[in-house]
Amino acid sequence: MITLMVNNKEYQLEIEPHETLVDVLQKRLGLMGVRMSCGQGECGACTILLDNKPALSCMMLACQAEGKEILTIEGLGTYDDLHPIQESFIEEHGFQCGFCTPGVIMTTKSLLETKPKSNASEIAMSLSGHICRCGAYPKIIKSVQNAAKKLEKNHG
Amino acid sequence: MANNELNIPLSVIGKAFPIKDAREKVTGTLKYAIDCQVPGMAYGKILRSPHAHARITKIDSSQAEALPGVLGVVTYNDAPDLDWEAHWFNYKGHILDDHVRFVGDEVAAVAAVDEEIAKEAVKLIKVDYEILPSVFDPQEALKDDAPQVRAEGNAREPAICSWGNVDKGLEASDIVVESSMNFESQHYAPIGRNACVAEWTADRVTMWTSTQTPSECRDAIAMGMGMPLSKVRIIGMPSGSSIGLWWTNNFMLVTVLLAKKICRPVKIELDQEECFATVKRRHIEQPKGRLGCSSDGKITAIDIEHIFDNGGYGVKPDPGYLCADLWGNSLNGRFVCKGVSTNLVTASCMRGVGDVTIGTFLNRLLDLAAIKLDMNPLEFYLKNHLKKGEILQQLHTALAHEYETPPECEDRWPQIFHLSSEALHECLIKGAKRFNWKEKFKGWGKPLAVSGSKRRAVGVGIGTHCCGTEDDAGPTSAIVRVHSDGSVSLSCSMGRHGQGSETTQSQIAAEVLGILPDQIDVEAGDTEVCPWSHGSVASTSAYRTGFATKGASMDARSQILEIAARHYIKGKPEQLDIKNGVIYHKKHPDQKISLAELMSQPQPDTLTRPSIIGRPIHRMPPTITFARQFAAHFVEVEVDIETGQIKLLDYLLTQDSGTVLNPKVLENQVTGGAIQGAGFALIESMVFDEQTGKVLNPNFLDYKVFRAPDFPIQPEILFCESNDPVGPYGCKGAGESPIAASLPAISQAVYNAIGVWLDVPMTPQRVLHALGKI
Repeated sequence: MITLMVNNKEYQLEIEPHETLVDVLQKRLGLMGVRMSCGQGECGACTILLDNKPALSCMMLACQAEGKEILTIEGLGTYDDLHPIQESFIEEHGFQCGFCTPGVIMTTKSLLETKPKSNASEIAMSLSGHICRCGAYPKIIKSVQNAAKKLEKNHG
Repeated sequence: MANNELNIPLSVIGKAFPIKDAREKVTGTLKYAIDCQVPGMAYGKILRSPHAHARITKIDSSQAEALPGVLGVVTYNDAPDLDWEAHWFNYKGHILDDHVRFVGDEVAAVAAVDEEIAKEAVKLIKVDYEILPSVFDPQEALKDDAPQVRAEGNAREPAICSWGNVDKGLEASDIVVESSMNFESQHYAPIGRNACVAEWTADRVTMWTSTQTPSECRDAIAMGMGMPLSKVRIIGMPSGSSIGLWWTNNFMLVTVLLAKKICRPVKIELDQEECFATVKRRHIEQPKGRLGCSSDGKITAIDIEHIFDNGGYGVKPDPGYLCADLWGNSLNGRFVCKGVSTNLVTASCMRGVGDVTIGTFLNRLLDLAAIKLDMNPLEFYLKNHLKKGEILQQLHTALAHEYETPPECEDRWPQIFHLSSEALHECLIKGAKRFNWKEKFKGWGKPLAVSGSKRRAVGVGIGTHCCGTEDDAGPTSAIVRVHSDGSVSLSCSMGRHGQGSETTQSQIAAEVLGILPDQIDVEAGDTEVCPWSHGSVASTSAYRTGFATKGASMDARSQILEIAARHYIKGKPEQLDIKNGVIYHKKHPDQKISLAELMSQPQPDTLTRPSIIGRPIHRMPPTITFARQFAAHFVEVEVDIETGQIKLLDYLLTQDSGTVLNPKVLENQVTGGAIQGAGFALIESMVFDEQTGKVLNPNFLDYKVFRAPDFPIQPEILFCESNDPVGPYGCKGAGESPIAASLPAISQAVYNAIGVWLDVPMTPQRVLHALGKI
């Protein structure tokens, strides 16, 4: 039995020791916004925030997340109540197929909290763990810049 | 603006509406097929061939069937003795047969109560193989004594297209250049995998899968299973980046077979390695040829022989080469294509098929000629590229017997086999100015700057492709239904792989209907609701699907105006208009009724609410015969002659996709193409085991693609809007010319930096080898 804190809710789960975090989030908690693509830590689609830092949920066991705050895309904003980062991605068309988007947005959140004044090159570097096969990178970067402005305004 | 029969200012065309499923994408709530669950669903797993080429002499699945939790096994004994075929020769074969043609080919499949048991059970199937000799190299496969991959032989009938007299043309040319290239195989490298769920209800099958081609998928299942089209329903779901991969794939048909056998819904989900190594890929291509020119820089003859591999199940005679018409001023041409079967995973259409490879090769021949003539490439391209109204020589030669204009369409269609619109000239001129080409191009093989081991230089390249094409399967169609509250459903079987087609289609319909795109919902995947369409392939959506959407919307609009004029507004239908959801008399705007009110009122003559169903009423012209999209790319590269590393420093994209329907959607389309092209140019290639043909890099660890820092962060984009006479509101296709422009641009820039021409991908190893450093 483990206890996971996911999106500000506590879950007690009986899991197998070998279960990965992405599997538990998807299959036990139904959080399908945590995308699983490569399963090898290469594509970044499964990125979540673990104590506010980006983590690849396919590369860790669920039990390793015990005692940490897990935030997934579902905990960031909802369809009718979007987070400013999500709004920015919509406004700037920061995606095509959308498969990489939840992971990219989670990394963006962490980046803008730690380095809100990142320039475009720094944003690109910080997103280098994510593959967007559609090649929407220029608009993804614009979305992050737009989000930085929105968040600054909100805080200011 | 031409082609705007309503003669009102465009109100939603050209605006950057967010894409329709944007909220689902940013909240992670969009469902792809891998997320699909159906009650009572079992899980399937496929047993795949460990051999490149073999005949199955015996299959014993008894141990697998005995494993607790296993629900059933299918082998070739369960498969109908029928071939299914994908469009445009991309696949032909049985669902399962006793002949395996590449490592990873489907042998059998197991359904079980969970995926783990299915995986275990697959290992328990005993298969005896008679190993057959195998062949991987297309040149080897063409030889008479080569092992034959398919019953119909390895070599497809050569596809020959020739006009004028090439031999005489070359003889009469002032200069002739000659070259050859080798293209390794690029992979779709899909983010997100794919899955399908098949469920039988009585004698009908329903399938949920991520696909660009729901109609093709339905047709293929009906063909492979030998059943009527009416008994197959595809519910096409969005896919991750597909770029040609997720059309109809054999694993989907295996799932259908398995679900039939166990009488339960079955889901097969592909893992990453299966996505990379068992579905399909771009062809390995080997063009060679000659190009002749007059001393004043006019192309006189092009002679190309192109050999490419089809892998195990592709049967293409040629990959398509619309780029031949790009230089259609050439008086003499000969293109000989030879498609060859090999014991490699199937090769198939991938974004820009043919125009990426043959187009790059043609650009190279042009460059070699320009070097010989000491002409600036820009000047050379401007002089030779196809202009509006000029004849499409290659296509005319190849297809003149198939198409002619019916008299009743003469005033409606552009002259067939003549280019309907073109702003490539403008792309080149405006792009060059913006990029400062005059300053930056220092002459052939001359870098713009040298700093230590680094050489910087610029290049320009051109790409083209069709705007959808026809075959005998049927015209792309669409249906518009107006509901009793004035909201609208648009159904067109496009599939959804991310380009935003639902949004641009809704803009077209909204423009016609005088409402906002938000009031229109688009169903793009359910074949029970959507009429037949090619799907989102061959750059079809904007042009051909758009033509159908516009036609269906016009039909619905006519019905609405007719009802309004009959019951609510004094006047004739043609005196009425719809704006912001209100139908009104153009001369007496106070006479009006809202669309919602009109649709909700029982009509006096029928005592029922109106039933408005619009469908395209005009015959769709054969668009392949006149419509082309164009891209011209300008790039600055830096080559390090010590490390062999190539960096892209600056990138300018110009695009002629006709009228821009939605600028942000189009910007994503064109940069996406450029980035995938740059990946192919510099780093992407599949590696096959020399002994077995097995894919050795079936994952993102070993198959590298571009990431955010690898491409210039904000490339500049210029749209040059030719106004196409057939495309809805003057628009054209967009997705495939950009990938075809990026390779030649980068390749030329590298030549200008270091003075050598390279095959792609231009890896550091290739650079250093060409420079004699390794």
